[in-house]
Amino acid sequence: MKLATIGVGNAGSKIVDRMLEFESRTDRNLCQHVHAINTARTDLAKPDYIPEERRILIGDTNQKAKGHGVGGDVEVGAEVASADIEEIRRAFDDIEIHEVDAMLVVAGLGGGTGSGGGPVVIDALQEMYDEPVYGLGVLPGEYEGGRPALNAARSLQSFVTKVDNFIGFDNDAWRAREQTIEEGYEQMNRELAARLVTLLAAGETDDSEVAENAMDSSDIIRTLDTGGVSTIGYAATQVDNDAQEGLLDRWSGDQTTQQDDGSNATKIQGLVRRAVNSRLTVPAEIASADRVLVVVSGPPSEFSRKGIESARQWLEQEADTVEVLVGDDPRRESPQLAAAVLLSNVTETPRIDEIQNQAVDAQEKIAEQEAVREEEINDLITDENDDLDPVV
Amino acid sequence: MEFALVGVGETGSRIVDHVLAVEAETGRTFSHGNALVCEISQTIPEDLEMVSDDQRFLIGDTHQAVTEHGIDGGPDLAVDVTRTDLPEIHRAFDSLPIHECDGILVAAGLGSATGSGAGSVLVEELQATYDEPVYALGALPAESEGGQAAVNASRALRSIVPAADSMLTFDRETWQPHAGSDERNDDAIRTLADRIVTLFAAGELDASTVAENAVDSSDIIRTLAPGGLAAIGHATTELEANSDTILARLLTWLGVRDDSGTQTTDAAKVKSLVRQAANSRLTVPCDIASAERALVVLSGPPHALSRRGFESARQWLEQETDTVEILAGDDPRNQSSTLEAVVLFSNVTDVPRIDALQQRAVDHQETTTNERSEEAEEPNHYGT
Repeated sequence: MKLATIGVGNAGSKIVDRMLEFESRTDRNLCQHVHAINTARTDLAKPDYIPEERRILIGDTNQKAKGHGVGGDVEVGAEVASADIEEIRRAFDDIEIHEVDAMLVVAGLGGGTGSGGGPVVIDALQEMYDEPVYGLGVLPGEYEGGRPALNAARSLQSFVTKVDNFIGFDNDAWRAREQTIEEGYEQMNRELAARLVTLLAAGETDDSEVAENAMDSSDIIRTLDTGGVSTIGYAATQVDNDAQEGLLDRWSGDQTTQQDDGSNATKIQGLVRRAVNSRLTVPAEIASADRVLVVVSGPPSEFSRKGIESARQWLEQEADTVEVLVGDDPRRESPQLAAAVLLSNVTETPRIDEIQNQAVDAQEKIAEQEAVREEEINDLITDENDDLDPVV
Repeated sequence: MEFALVGVGETGSRIVDHVLAVEAETGRTFSHGNALVCEISQTIPEDLEMVSDDQRFLIGDTHQAVTEHGIDGGPDLAVDVTRTDLPEIHRAFDSLPIHECDGILVAAGLGSATGSGAGSVLVEELQATYDEPVYALGALPAESEGGQAAVNASRALRSIVPAADSMLTFDRETWQPHAGSDERNDDAIRTLADRIVTLFAAGELDASTVAENAVDSSDIIRTLAPGGLAAIGHATTELEANSDTILARLLTWLGVRDDSGTQTTDAAKVKSLVRQAANSRLTVPCDIASAERALVVLSGPPHALSRRGFESARQWLEQETDTVEILAGDDPRNQSSTLEAVVLFSNVTDVPRIDALQQRAVDHQETTTNERSEEAEEPNHYGT
């Protein structure tokens, strides 16, 4: 699959940057077109892989933002993006749409720019192009507090109604332990990038080496075409890919993919199980999924049709759906065998309920404080019997 | 972040002078040299070190009641003098690139006639002239400054607080109770300047590592948006120097440095530092549970900025202040060996010093009124 990928806000831009890093490291080519959109000049200076000319500063003429972000305010984020919509559209004119199968908008939902600006960007893309637009949203952890939860709960509604599919990533589930602030985000974003790219890059080599069970873009699009919230599972294992075997692989050519080795079958089935039972990007009840797609990616010599078939059967039971696709994505040079599982339209996601509850509480607290604000300030600056007059 | 600094009166000018000095020493800046100090006097104050001559301007120097020592006659006269010179004042402000700034910070000592009167007029005037937010940095007088200072300050609060987008508050009774008696009390102003620079210069792009969650001016603006009074807390801790350095070994050898202490984890260190900042002597003592919003910035070498520690510190702050509106940012400083936390509490409404000041002001006003009416039939001119 080929994507136009747009990161909105700080978290979104960093994730897109890590996706490009993973692509370049594993010799994949998923993102044909990238953009980073932000309201803060400081944050736009960060990416290592997103080219300078693909970074768009919005809201620099807005009185509330001035190129310094939106202060975690979802309303200002949406306002600023709407005001600069023409500039955003002009940037999207550059997307060579015949070269992409879909678009992906990546944003953190706890802050202001991604949560508010993301939906505006999605609207623009949906209007401009017929290709599906997917969203990837980072849900704030409980520890991030009430305001981010409120931003996220509101933004999630906009994202899910506007995109063709919403892939979630839960910071709570991925919260790092003993790490510095810098390493913590770095690590999470890398994990997420590996999952996204392994899953979505399948079928990008549609015209070259096609394995028998190869996954292609239309399979991915079909699985995502549920309109709901999705989650990704992932597992990988190193393969003994020393120089000799590499040579042998190349020499024996397509035949290797035909071998249905019993141990390969077991390995693949085990890997898929591990991926499904792994820490999902958003923890969800697997049985609540509508459709499932599994991409087995690695050297073709490791593939096994039997393994894929039994993995599919197992998944049909686990996910309680007949809409299960399992396919492979040959990566001849890859030192590992990986399985990425997309569980599409999972409806039982406890974290989303928790965020919504936290958001309702936060909204009430904010309203309470606002209601008494003027009165309290006035009480403070006025003496008890109002004997002292203002200077002016 | 870029703010224009305005100092009004002697205390306000000193605060600006110290902020510029801290900026020069630390290499952190948020004013970028955009500063102006304004005095009501016949002579320019001589003892400012950083403020250049063309950054100073005098008003009312031709007014009868204005002497070389300033103004004689209370805030109402200062209001008059300032209003008379408004065209001149506007010309002076034109020298600052305010439209390119993210906001304006007006510092004034509210106990003095100039700070109270001219400060009130300037905040009001700047607010009416510019779209940028106008923040006041108001110094409340110490008890030792007398009853009239309490009257001036209490009255100024009623003008400046509603007019400004927020008033960062500095209490001299807490920080320099003997203010006015000698010159040494500038230590407190210096401490205030340190906090201001740490807070406002946090998001500045410099040679340091880029922050994961940089504090930008929008974060400060949003935190201060409710208005009212704001207080700043601050704490630092020296990180253990690399024990391989000769200095460290020497210090250990001399018994100055104690290596036997328990190793606290980075996470615990960060959390306790933020707690310490929140519980520290705030620029104005207040009940932090009465705050409506807060902002916390953690600064130090990237390796010591523990994510878990900062997260739980933020969570703790949310409980303590009983608000969900808390912004948190990191400010990595590669070369630093100090871990630093600064916390901004916005719209604090439980501030005992204000009540005390108002009580003192009311008492003083009553006394002077009584004295006057005993001496003559003339009504007091401070009261109305």
